[in-house]
Amino acid sequence: MHDLMVILPLIIVGVGALLLMLLASFRSLSKEGMSILTMGIFGFAFFVQLAVSNNTGLLPFNNIFNGMMVASTFTKVAGLIILACGFFSTMMAQTYFTQNKEFVLEFYCLMLFAVSGMLLLTLAAELITVFISIEIMSLAIYSLVGYDRKSVVRSEAVLKYLLLGAFAGAFFVMGSAFIYAGAKSTTFGTIAGVIADTGFLSSPTMVVGAFLILVALLFKAAAFPFHAWVIDVYDGAPVPVTGFMATAVKTSVFAVLVNFLVMNSELRDSWITFLFYISVITMLAGNLIAIGQDNLKRMLAASGIVHTGYLIIAVAAVNTKEFTGGVILFYLAAYAASTLGLFAALSYLGGKEEQRVCFNDFSGLAKVRPYSAAAISIFLLSMAGIPPTAGFMGKFYVITSAIQADLVFLAVFGIFSSILSMWYYLRLIIVMYFREPEDQFETAEMTFAPIGTIILAISVFAMSFIPVVL
Amino acid sequence: MMLDNILSIMIFAPILAGLGLLLAPLGKDAARAVGLVVSMIVVLLSLKLFFSFSGATGAFEFVQKISLIDSLGISYSLGVDGISLLVLMAAAALFPMVYLLFTSKEKGYYSNLLIVQGAMIGAICASDMVLFYIFWEVMLLPVFFMIGFYGGPNRLSATLKITIYTIAGSLLMLASIAYLGVAYHAQAGEWSFDMAKLTQMSLAGDTAALAFIGFMIAFAIKIPLFPFHTWLPDAYTEAPTGTTFVLSAIMAKIGIYAAIRFVVPIFDEGMARYALILAYSGVIGMIYCGVTALAQKDFKRMLAFSSASHMGVIALGIFCMNVQALTGTLYQVIAHATSTGVLFLLLGIIEERMQTRNIEDLGGVAYKAPVFAFFFAVAMLASVGLPGTSGFIGEFLIILGSVKFNVTIAVLAGTTLIVGVCYMLWMFQRVFFEKNNAKTEAFKDLTLIETLTILPIIVLIIFMGIYPQPFIQKITPAVEQQIAQQQAPVSTDMQLADNSASVISYKQEKD
Repeated sequence: MHDLMVILPLIIVGVGALLLMLLASFRSLSKEGMSILTMGIFGFAFFVQLAVSNNTGLLPFNNIFNGMMVASTFTKVAGLIILACGFFSTMMAQTYFTQNKEFVLEFYCLMLFAVSGMLLLTLAAELITVFISIEIMSLAIYSLVGYDRKSVVRSEAVLKYLLLGAFAGAFFVMGSAFIYAGAKSTTFGTIAGVIADTGFLSSPTMVVGAFLILVALLFKAAAFPFHAWVIDVYDGAPVPVTGFMATAVKTSVFAVLVNFLVMNSELRDSWITFLFYISVITMLAGNLIAIGQDNLKRMLAASGIVHTGYLIIAVAAVNTKEFTGGVILFYLAAYAASTLGLFAALSYLGGKEEQRVCFNDFSGLAKVRPYSAAAISIFLLSMAGIPPTAGFMGKFYVITSAIQADLVFLAVFGIFSSILSMWYYLRLIIVMYFREPEDQFETAEMTFAPIGTIILAISVFAMSFIPVVL
Repeated sequence: MMLDNILSIMIFAPILAGLGLLLAPLGKDAARAVGLVVSMIVVLLSLKLFFSFSGATGAFEFVQKISLIDSLGISYSLGVDGISLLVLMAAAALFPMVYLLFTSKEKGYYSNLLIVQGAMIGAICASDMVLFYIFWEVMLLPVFFMIGFYGGPNRLSATLKITIYTIAGSLLMLASIAYLGVAYHAQAGEWSFDMAKLTQMSLAGDTAALAFIGFMIAFAIKIPLFPFHTWLPDAYTEAPTGTTFVLSAIMAKIGIYAAIRFVVPIFDEGMARYALILAYSGVIGMIYCGVTALAQKDFKRMLAFSSASHMGVIALGIFCMNVQALTGTLYQVIAHATSTGVLFLLLGIIEERMQTRNIEDLGGVAYKAPVFAFFFAVAMLASVGLPGTSGFIGEFLIILGSVKFNVTIAVLAGTTLIVGVCYMLWMFQRVFFEKNNAKTEAFKDLTLIETLTILPIIVLIIFMGIYPQPFIQKITPAVEQQIAQQQAPVSTDMQLADNSASVISYKQEKD
């Protein structure tokens, strides 16, 4: 297998982004045309990714490009999730722009650039590559958040995100420098070799370096204590971008985090207590923030923090000997499907200029639009982990893997956190079903987002049957 | 051929019909008709199943198995044995009454009833832990909507209370199920959530104790067992009568069933250590709820507490861990389902016709409606355990078994059954005798259809009280097997503390 084959989807998305830029400069394409083209690119890359086999049977990873990148079933599936996220976010964006006027043609190009950065991130196994791909992804997303320059809220969000994100980037570079000083190399494989030879804790430069890198990644993944930016940024960003950030960014960051920790298994073993506490506090903090929210986007942002906590449980419980990453990927996919579904529904129910964003704005939705309300309920129940949805299976796998890894306390705490989270998930269902409607919920004409909602609602059920190897 | 997937049909016919109703543009009468037809089909299938069930070996019958997730050994597998048979019959056979008696509900109500029935049958028949959990959770959602949409004035807080309470319990159970899977993986080297395989394990140690507690909390909430009963009065009172019927007559029994099915065989050590506490919690709940029932002015709330009180006795039967008590519990499951079910349904009729549930507003009903009063009296006497009714057999067996287990508890349970007689007879006097007032003056007796709907259950109550053999025969082999699986020696009298130590050492020797 040629190494280039593995990054073929990445090339398709990247070239697609450039082509779209060119086309956009001629101003001959309509908004709809752009979105359909973007969806086409994502769809094509998805099928190529599906067709290319990343796995040559070498476990856990198959080095490509002289150890600059790795390929495995794990990276392949992570890439698939990211491409699907891009596809559905584009669907949302199309609908969103039928109701919201400010549109720039570069929007979709930026989305494609972000996805190509994410795809590179899932494959990266070398610190500089990781840094570059994080920056490709982040720069595109900064612009996506703040593309509407006239809006104060958006500008505030992008300023916060940019400043803090720059810090995280600086941490990462600093950490890489330390690691390089300790290991004389930037590839994960060599670093792992050095750690295995000399022992992780015996070398202060390595400890500091790894710590700084972890800080940067945890910042991107929105784990405690680096979670504070999430609420304002998610709230300030346009709905499709929020959905895209909440899912695709999380997937790619966790992919690289897992690659890093699994390849340096000794490092992970030393950090396991650290991850343990991080996940506990992340879940707790996320829940406490979410319970207090009145705004749906802010609630979803906070609940995204809680889900990061669950994912860190899965990372802490990862089996480094026979690594498959199945639990993490399944959880990410289930979370992505339900989150994207919710944002897709919000993008057409939100109305002009996002006028409906609070819980009470959706009073009595079930009476006026029963199918939308049912779909939203399905997504919420999936996030809460109620069967027979994919979210339930995801939670079940996470808990099973935690118990198997002897992290019983984490499993139990995860359960308590789920109980807490019932409060804010049920709240929206209650508002939609048991209140009288005050609104007609008029929406745009036939657009893509409702179709996306239906597909995602079905896949929330269908995904439960995907077999996962713990 | 038909019998191969009879269970699947019984599960999915109601669920699919319920979902179809939600989508179909039908009126409420048509919806009720659909519900009635489907529930009658389920009744017929259940009768067919009851009579073709041999029960000789105590093994699962009507087994169906389709692998769902190979890598973890999760499968869609169903089966019935002596332990689940009577619970299944209760869930399958009692539903048509709801459609026949309450004719004025909306479409969504009937479709939720259908879905909850399918899910309950699924939970009873599932022989895979994960599948069981899925049905267990799915059966809660229709209840959430039924109370929230169609309940009384305080419905929102009632539905939130029951939902969050129950989900909290079930999530703890989820962790315990995961633990069982991991434990089996560690012992056998392969993943499986098949109950038959999991129940062959016997677990001890701290984590096992945690898992035991996780299961017990989930079931204690569902049953409900003191002190987890606080959701019950609100939920039972605010729910529409049909839903109260579902909750009290059937859903509570699934908690009992699940405790017998999972907890008793797997956690010998946990049972030996905590059986006494749990048995006391059953007895305390029985006394406490009984006394509280005495003080109620709201008829429905009184019945709710009475139901909770009886669940305490039924639960007591589980923790005695001997054949008599367990048989009694399983027998009482259907006895209590029929008697309490009928009581709640008749109360629903009173409420519909007189727009009141206040005991003080009623009086003299028996003069105006003799048939109604007769039916009520039979169900009530069965509920307090009068000889000659189904309630007697079950409670007698439970008390008998509890004497073997612990004399103090047996004495407490036996003597306080009288509380039940007190509040029931006192209520009966106030509602059915004494003077008529303006409201009860106009009360009409049961119509022909209503009489014919309830009559079979009344006959069943008396039949089960006089000739229990056909039922006991079907459950005993499975019960004996269950007790045998639980290798712990039955603890007698009050030496439980010593006994539990010896159980553990006995197990260690065996290992």
